[in-house]
Amino acid sequence: MNLQEVVATALLLSGCFFYIAGTVGLLRFPDVFSRLHALTKADNLGLFLVCGGLALQQGSPRIAGLLLVIWLLGLLAATVSCHLIARRALQMTDPEQRP
Amino acid sequence: MIALAMDAIIAIGLVWLALRTVRGANVFSAIIMFIVFGLIMSLAWARLHAPDLALAEAAIGAGITGALLLVTWRRLQVLEGSVPQVGAETRSLWLTLPTGLAAALLIAGLGWVALSLPAEPATAGELAWQRLPEMGVSNPVTGVLLGFRAYDTLLEMGVLLAAWLGAQVVASEHRPGALPGPAHEEVPLVGALLSLVVPISLLVAVYLLQAGGSAPGGAFQGGAVLAAGGVLLCLTGRLEAADQASLIERVVLILGLAVFSGVGLVMLPLGEPMLAMPGVWAIYLIETALLLSIALTLVLLFAAAPGLRRRL
Amino acid sequence: MMDWLLPLTGIVLLLNLILGMLRVYRGPTAADRMLAALLFGSTTVAVLLVFAEWMDVPALRDVALLFVMLAAIISVAFVGLPESDEGNP
Repeated sequence: MNLQEVVATALLLSGCFFYIAGTVGLLRFPDVFSRLHALTKADNLGLFLVCGGLALQQGSPRIAGLLLVIWLLGLLAATVSCHLIARRALQMTDPEQRP
Repeated sequence: MIALAMDAIIAIGLVWLALRTVRGANVFSAIIMFIVFGLIMSLAWARLHAPDLALAEAAIGAGITGALLLVTWRRLQVLEGSVPQVGAETRSLWLTLPTGLAAALLIAGLGWVALSLPAEPATAGELAWQRLPEMGVSNPVTGVLLGFRAYDTLLEMGVLLAAWLGAQVVASEHRPGALPGPAHEEVPLVGALLSLVVPISLLVAVYLLQAGGSAPGGAFQGGAVLAAGGVLLCLTGRLEAADQASLIERVVLILGLAVFSGVGLVMLPLGEPMLAMPGVWAIYLIETALLLSIALTLVLLFAAAPGLRRRL
Repeated sequence: MMDWLLPLTGIVLLLNLILGMLRVYRGPTAADRMLAALLFGSTTVAVLLVFAEWMDVPALRDVALLFVMLAAIISVAFVGLPESDEGNP
């Protein structure tokens, strides 16, 4: 097992950990806003680590570039989605109960 | 062993999602379950080593159809003034459980029959696989779609055009009106999203078209991706319905069918059977025309409009 | 080492999807259901990338690219809804 595989394994495992953390936040947090926060941050970081681990595992620069682009687009999509959903949720809640 | 566990999770998830779609508590959650069902189905296609099907299922089944359902739900609310309700009949267990069991028995029976048939050695698939290099493409899906079974694809384009015409007939009587103005038109993030996603969808569509010869891709997948970009433009209010189809739109709508039929008919006076491809260039030419037609037809079907124009 | 790591990652991600669906199914407000777009945008992309590596089907990376774009479209479709009682049970 060379260094490349060890680092790739570590990245994949920590990516899984962050995904699990995001899901735990999604299930256990009390409020839609805190759930949004947990899901967006943890999942994006998890995706970055998984992409990194897979890029190292594959070893080709072209695939690494493609995975980087996929992660960046995922970041963009998640950011805009989170913002839009949060705005919508804010509009839908009563003014008294707003955080 | 682990692969079996993963496939079992996907299969059970699909069944559960289907159940939740049919027995949803309200229409909104049923629509979301349907979209999720489409996405997991795309994962199932990926597990079955069918990336072309995964692409088409995700883009059309989950993306465009999901967005269409949500927009329809929105329009129904505006039209009727109240939230669409789920009929009590579709939620009753007396109806769904026997129907589900009957469907499961049917699938099981068909599967048992199919698996117990002796495998024929020289089926059409085998022959097509052997003669694929004659087509000039190495992707078997493209070879079948545009080479060996070109009639099917030609008629599918006709079906797509007929669907759009039928939608126009219905829409001319019950004009749905403009989409309720998006509340997020002034959100700057949406502009940034569009300026990145729409060009990328164009790039990915053209890439899929070009890659269709040797890798999973092709006209349908590229057209679906391009249509997804167009749907995004409609949803964010950058494009809106026009009353008439402009000349360019009319030309593009029939372009796929016309080019395909033209290339096919041109072969007749040359002594070849109809729709025999004269070369790989013919396949790429036809696929380009198909891409444009499919993308425009899907976006127009989504917008329920004869044409599109930029929102002023 | 990698033989079991990649499918294990896939299973962990799929289980995340299922557990996340629990929130989408139960979530009291409609905004909770819209979280599905976010959840699927990240998790299914990761699952597809893992599949691409594990099953050695490079085309699945293109499918992952498509999924990312779909997540954006679906969330835009979700939030453009009128202000009314949309799905609170």
